[in-house]
Amino acid sequence: MALIEIRNLTKSFGSVKAVDGVDLDINAGEFLTLLGPSGSGKTTVLRMIAGFETPDSGSIKLNGSDITYLPPYERDVNTVFQDYALFPHMDVITNIEYGLRVKKVPKEQRREKALNALAQVRLSGYENRKPSQLSGGQRQRVALARALVNRPSVLLLDEPLGALDLKLRQQMQIELKELQREVGITFIFVTHDQEEALTMSDRIAVFDKGRIQQLDKPATIYEKPKNEFVAGFVGVSNLISGAAAEKLLGKKGTFTVRPEKIRIASKGASGTVREVEYLGPATRFLIDLDAGAQLVVLQQNAEQSAIDVESLRGKKVALSWDKESEYQVS
Amino acid sequence: MRVGKHRKLAALVAASTLLLAGCSSSSDEGSGAYAGPVKDTPGTINVLAWPGYAEDGSTDPNVDWVTPFEKATGCTVNVKTYGTSDEAVQLMQGGGYDVISASGDASLRLIYGGDLQPVNLDLIPNYVDIFDNLKDRPWNTVDGKNYGVPHGRGANVLQYTIGKVNPAPTSWSIVWDPNSPAKGKVTAYDSAIYIADAAVYLMATKPELGITDPYALDQTQFDAAMALLAQQKPLVAEYWADYTKYIGAVQSGSITVGTSWQVIANVLNGEKATVGAVKPVEGATGWSDTWMISSKTEAIDCAYKWLNHIITPDVNAQAAEWFGEAPANSKACALTANKDHCKLYHAEETDYWSNVYYWKTPTEECLDGRTDVKCVPYAEWVKAWSSFRNQ
Amino acid sequence: MQRNPKARALSLISLPLAWLLIIYIGSLFALFITSIWKIDTFTSKVIREFTLQNFIDVFTDRAYFNVTLRTLVVAISVTLICALIAIPMAFFMARIARPKSRPVLIALVLTPLWASYLVKIYAWRTMFYPDTGFLNWLISPLGGSSPGFGMIAVIIGLSYLWLPYMVLPIYAGMEKLPNSVLDASADLGAKPGRTFFGVVLPITWPAIIAGSIFTFSLSMGDYITVQILGGTFQMLGNVVYQNFSLNLPFAAAVALIPVIIMIIYLGSVRKTGALDNL
Repeated sequence: MALIEIRNLTKSFGSVKAVDGVDLDINAGEFLTLLGPSGSGKTTVLRMIAGFETPDSGSIKLNGSDITYLPPYERDVNTVFQDYALFPHMDVITNIEYGLRVKKVPKEQRREKALNALAQVRLSGYENRKPSQLSGGQRQRVALARALVNRPSVLLLDEPLGALDLKLRQQMQIELKELQREVGITFIFVTHDQEEALTMSDRIAVFDKGRIQQLDKPATIYEKPKNEFVAGFVGVSNLISGAAAEKLLGKKGTFTVRPEKIRIASKGASGTVREVEYLGPATRFLIDLDAGAQLVVLQQNAEQSAIDVESLRGKKVALSWDKESEYQVS
Repeated sequence: MRVGKHRKLAALVAASTLLLAGCSSSSDEGSGAYAGPVKDTPGTINVLAWPGYAEDGSTDPNVDWVTPFEKATGCTVNVKTYGTSDEAVQLMQGGGYDVISASGDASLRLIYGGDLQPVNLDLIPNYVDIFDNLKDRPWNTVDGKNYGVPHGRGANVLQYTIGKVNPAPTSWSIVWDPNSPAKGKVTAYDSAIYIADAAVYLMATKPELGITDPYALDQTQFDAAMALLAQQKPLVAEYWADYTKYIGAVQSGSITVGTSWQVIANVLNGEKATVGAVKPVEGATGWSDTWMISSKTEAIDCAYKWLNHIITPDVNAQAAEWFGEAPANSKACALTANKDHCKLYHAEETDYWSNVYYWKTPTEECLDGRTDVKCVPYAEWVKAWSSFRNQ
Repeated sequence: MQRNPKARALSLISLPLAWLLIIYIGSLFALFITSIWKIDTFTSKVIREFTLQNFIDVFTDRAYFNVTLRTLVVAISVTLICALIAIPMAFFMARIARPKSRPVLIALVLTPLWASYLVKIYAWRTMFYPDTGFLNWLISPLGGSSPGFGMIAVIIGLSYLWLPYMVLPIYAGMEKLPNSVLDASADLGAKPGRTFFGVVLPITWPAIIAGSIFTFSLSMGDYITVQILGGTFQMLGNVVYQNFSLNLPFAAAVALIPVIIMIIYLGSVRKTGALDNL
């Protein structure tokens, strides 16, 4: 039995259907990411699990019991907010103790648990700081500790890394994943960053227009997107369709080939290099195929030098890829 | 009317005077009266008056004795009104005014302060018609020098609501007696000068104190008056200084008896007789107002013309009737719109005024002529009143 | 042109700064100076000679100690009543009412400020008349009677007058409160009451103190409402009003009492950050 069972969940704001018939089973101990552009309904689903929004129809079960209409304070879930939502008038340790204090955990026990949680997020020694005296990353950790100290069945994370700079975000991604393995709590993680989703998740649910477009392991989502939207949102949409597909692949339909699977070779589909982007370890080419499609190609800079790749701009090239790299999306 | 509608203004003035306290300058006493003759010099006079004393048509277009004066003389008149004698003193000391209508409790302070000049009565033809018992009195004449021309007078009457106070009172005891049937519905005048009202009552009820003039109280007499006020306090619903507030309170029934002015009773009886107003057997305090000239005026000719104009029989009649008091000019009685006006206000009854004690400023030197004791000066009255009101 | 940006800024603000110094600091100084002068006891004219008599009079006469106490009781009561009404009111306006209706609600809160102060207080006066007033009519069927004029009437009248000054800063404070903070509290298991007292109130505390600065200082200085609703009851403002024309230095000395109380009050709330909320 899944830890969370969501059935036919629907929610409208005015005339806008934010969530439109979502079914989702989430297993105990898994790291599930809800991925999608803004307005796709992923955050609304999260907020309905937390209890901040009430669905129009459908149900949510946690550990087999219906929590659809329970107020937030009666649910065994905790949330890490995008803006951290720390209580500005309390110091760090009091923030972390808040949930335990509400549940009337004795003072000494409470302090001990809070200090452990603080150590877990590697902020020992910061217990008497006020939130305003912390950096963004530190606040993020406090918010994590404040939620985790309650040992909820599920931890909900609403774009928690969105406000951090790239370096810190990458570091936090690793830490979060480690932390999740360590505590063994189910994480439901909302993001619009596909890279983040691919890096951290056990499974990803890709959202668009209030529906789940695909629910799969990261590799499957990336390699075998179910439709054009998923193909485009996760990774680069190298789509070949219509006449170009028939001419190049000899098949009808829409196909995708991931950029790193394509090689610039001496023979194959011919085209012109329109743009060259030097990325350091790799170079990205934008190529107009003579057959009528536009493809992005990613090449490891294992052999070429930067000067060589720049000289390719405007040149005629040929592209080739393995047949098994072609994947039909619809 | 002596109304508190200028109260907010007074507050502003209070604030600014706190700032500008240092700006008023004292000057030497006027060296003597103007010799005359009064010339036809055009000029501007700033008039400081009780509300209703110098009407220029701005209150009521039909009530105007300033504009005719301006037309006849070529003098321009600016009128500024005030709410209490104390405010008048303050404004006058600040300077900038040429003539003032001062009650007896303001005039002496201004005379001794050097703010006023003696008046040459020969230059004011209408003076001859003034009632004799208003001439050469202590509040308008000092050291044999006259400081102005009388305008009008009134008594502070005992007013009671008909039907609520039975029988109709004839004695002030109803506002002073701790067992008064009107307990909790009494009003009293909210000014230090009201201490004199207590003294008037003591003159009649405690002759052993030997009070002969309610404005000349030695320490013992003064303490007795204050004790009487303290005894009165539980009876009092409100102290009044605001005329309209008083009228509203009487109409609502929260006040049924207390000291008042005839004009207030007249307003209350406008539609039907609701209150009575008597001068009780003990006598009463009262006011007698005098038009006076600033020692610093630069428009002396216009000032003299104003003094003469304002006591012309018909002007005096209009002003007395508009304000509701007894006129000072004996010929005014024939010219009032209401032919009973002078009778109503007892203008011509000499006896009526014999036990009306006009407001005066108490001084250390007893005003009743005693030299063996010092009297309590007005500044101490004010202090005592302020303390008493905030006990 | 001045090259130094600091000097330029200084020249820009010099006029308002001069205004501040002369009008505010200057008037306080004038007040203080006046309070150590004498008067001519007969003519009431100020004599510029040093004396401490005014302060001796103020501090040795028990009446003025009592009136200070009464004034404090009124100012504190008005502040508490305003806070008790304004906090739930502002909470409703800022967090519960729909955002579209908020401007309307603010306008409604402000309506008392549209009418003249005197009109409102005279309206209260007619309500407080002991026998014929509206309050008496309202209460008498329940076996009570109108409190009549006095301290209670003054407290009610002033609470009514100053309520908007309490509601507005608290509303502003509560509106600034992020939704997520309230969600976080509920998420951590706190019921609405706990969230209100444990999170909303402490975070908006500086705004509440800011409001209290208005209600407290406005009540401390009022004398007109007291005259109209107070019956024989008086406050410090009335002492000043009664004395300013006859004994200006004494009035100045009395007027310093609320100034000192306000300085103490502002000093004691400075740490809460309330002054940033004004």
